[in-house]
Amino acid sequence: MPLLRPLLAVVMILLAASPVAAQDRPRVVAVNYALQYFAERLVGDTAEVIFPVPQDVDPSFWRPSIADISTIQSADLILLNGAGFATWVDRVSLPRAKVANTTAAIEDRFIRTESITHSHGDGDEHSHEGLASYTWLDPMLAIAQAEAIASAITARGIAPEDEVANRLAALRTDLEGLDTQATRAFAGMQDIAMIATHPRYQYLARRYDLSLTSLEWEAGAMPTDAERAELVALVAQTGAQVLIWEAEPPADAFAIAANLGLANIVFPTLAHGVEEGDYMQAVAAALTAMSDASPQ
Amino acid sequence: MNALYLAFAYLRYHWGRSLVLTLVAALIMFVPIATQILLSTSERALVARGDATPLLLGSRGSQLDLTMAALYFSDERPDPVTMREVEAVWDSGLAVPIPVHSAFSSAGFRIVGTTLDYFDFRGLNVSDGRGLSILGDAVIGADVAQALGKGVGDSLVSSPENLFDLDGVYPLEMPIVGVLAPTNSPDDQAIFVDIKTAWVIQGIGHGHEDVVTAAEVAAGTAALSNAAVVQYQRITDANIETFHFHGSQEGFPTSAVIVVPNDVRSGTILKGRYLDSENPAQLIEPAGVIQSLVDRIFRIKSLLDAVTLIIAIAALAAIGLAVFLSYRLRAREIATAVKLGARRGMVLRLLSAETITLLSLSALIAATGAAIVSRNAEAWVGYLLALGS
Repeated sequence: MPLLRPLLAVVMILLAASPVAAQDRPRVVAVNYALQYFAERLVGDTAEVIFPVPQDVDPSFWRPSIADISTIQSADLILLNGAGFATWVDRVSLPRAKVANTTAAIEDRFIRTESITHSHGDGDEHSHEGLASYTWLDPMLAIAQAEAIASAITARGIAPEDEVANRLAALRTDLEGLDTQATRAFAGMQDIAMIATHPRYQYLARRYDLSLTSLEWEAGAMPTDAERAELVALVAQTGAQVLIWEAEPPADAFAIAANLGLANIVFPTLAHGVEEGDYMQAVAAALTAMSDASPQ
Repeated sequence: MNALYLAFAYLRYHWGRSLVLTLVAALIMFVPIATQILLSTSERALVARGDATPLLLGSRGSQLDLTMAALYFSDERPDPVTMREVEAVWDSGLAVPIPVHSAFSSAGFRIVGTTLDYFDFRGLNVSDGRGLSILGDAVIGADVAQALGKGVGDSLVSSPENLFDLDGVYPLEMPIVGVLAPTNSPDDQAIFVDIKTAWVIQGIGHGHEDVVTAAEVAAGTAALSNAAVVQYQRITDANIETFHFHGSQEGFPTSAVIVVPNDVRSGTILKGRYLDSENPAQLIEPAGVIQSLVDRIFRIKSLLDAVTLIIAIAALAAIGLAVFLSYRLRAREIATAVKLGARRGMVLRLLSAETITLLSLSALIAATGAAIVSRNAEAWVGYLLALGS
């Protein structure tokens, strides 16, 4: 009984101190879930990693409020994906000293997409070059991005260098494991035409030499009549056997694709977090589903 | 004690003459002291800006023009360098580069396009409103706010680069989102925007009506449009999504780059990289440039010192003469005092007490004036320097 009071006091002090400690931790902001996951793996508990985009908003086209911008500006490190991902960064003032572009070292491996040409007034014509943005879907590029994050973390003293190096080695091993699994899953699928519901998988397709055509469907939504007609036409044109969904749609949508002879695969792009599990588990599950759909 | 009492009574009786002598002596003491305070404060203020800016990167050319444009936002227009130079410094890991784009103006004040790092570097705080957040935002210096009578919620319009450049640079309307606390530095005289906003003013970035549909983009169709595409001249919630930049940001211009090395060694390594005269960029120490300019300006200080000394000697001689003549006028009074039994020493003490009281009062007035000047020197010098910019 005499020991109870001091023990309670110690517990109370610890409970009171824990929120303060959380506030004192350095803060890292990431523009997508993939970067958030990599950063969390690399900093452990030494920093708080924030992904500020609401669940129902596409991170590529998110428009931060002034309050969001203030939160981002006050972070110790701001992780950008580059490759044209998150266009809001071009319209927001960010402290350059805190910004790290995780694809700066791999720009030569970007995939160029559409090109739009126009001019203003009597000015010269100029072009807007598009870039495929979902770089992390290629595990090798994901490793390069994780390395860039590790450098940024240690350069800013957010976490001890040796700890970050150890965690990076573990993360690299995991991503290489995913690459091995993906290589096996896609083995023999190079000649099989696939359709993706959204043009997000360019880097995945290039890494594993897939024949992929993309639609412009809304993630997780029931396709409209026009979209169904578009799918039918595309299947007829390409002879596709696999339909890759960005997010799980209503069951009826799966049935529509199945009726066309398509194997339904949900392969989350991981720009947003997944409801269950984490990055590694989500990709591993998608690859397992792909293996199951693969003709043996 | 008696001598002091009698001296003070005498001075009070002849208050007019005493007042004139006290004020003249006070002025003689005050003027050189105040001049020295103001000159040394000016020198310090001029050199401080240079000392607070470790290195400056810019296009090879006049170091003075580069320094004046980047540190004092003067009208000098050094050739721009590209953001590639900024990235090169970043990549070196030796320093933090802060671009300064000062090519444009609004209502007679320079528009300074930079990154948020500039505000941390100079220790600038927002006294009203908020800092830069989105494209088009402007934060104004304290003097700009006062001179234009503008504040948060008002807007500014960038001026065309020159009268005949009707096609080149579109005026951009920028909302004022914050006013900086005064710093008695050129920052009080500047309009700060994100460097991306400066590029929009320059026409490198712009917003306009859609020229293609989302479906066309998805299909990878190359679209072509011209002439009729209308550019926006105000960034609003409705059109901000249409603003974009052409080309790689590495090719975009900046007037200069403030380079803050991690340490002395990093600074030395960086300086070594820009020694090659073939390199179109130069890395300079603005403190040295400003110091040589100040030295040149302050050569006049020695002349001023000599003039002050001559005037002081003349004035002291005049006071001496006035005191001497007053003693002569008081010869009969002194003789009467001697006849009444006052010794020569007593008479001397009496006269000394009068002189010391008079000079003490003068010194007190001069010291008070000097203290006032010293306390306000920075503000006054800041104002005077701003008049010249």
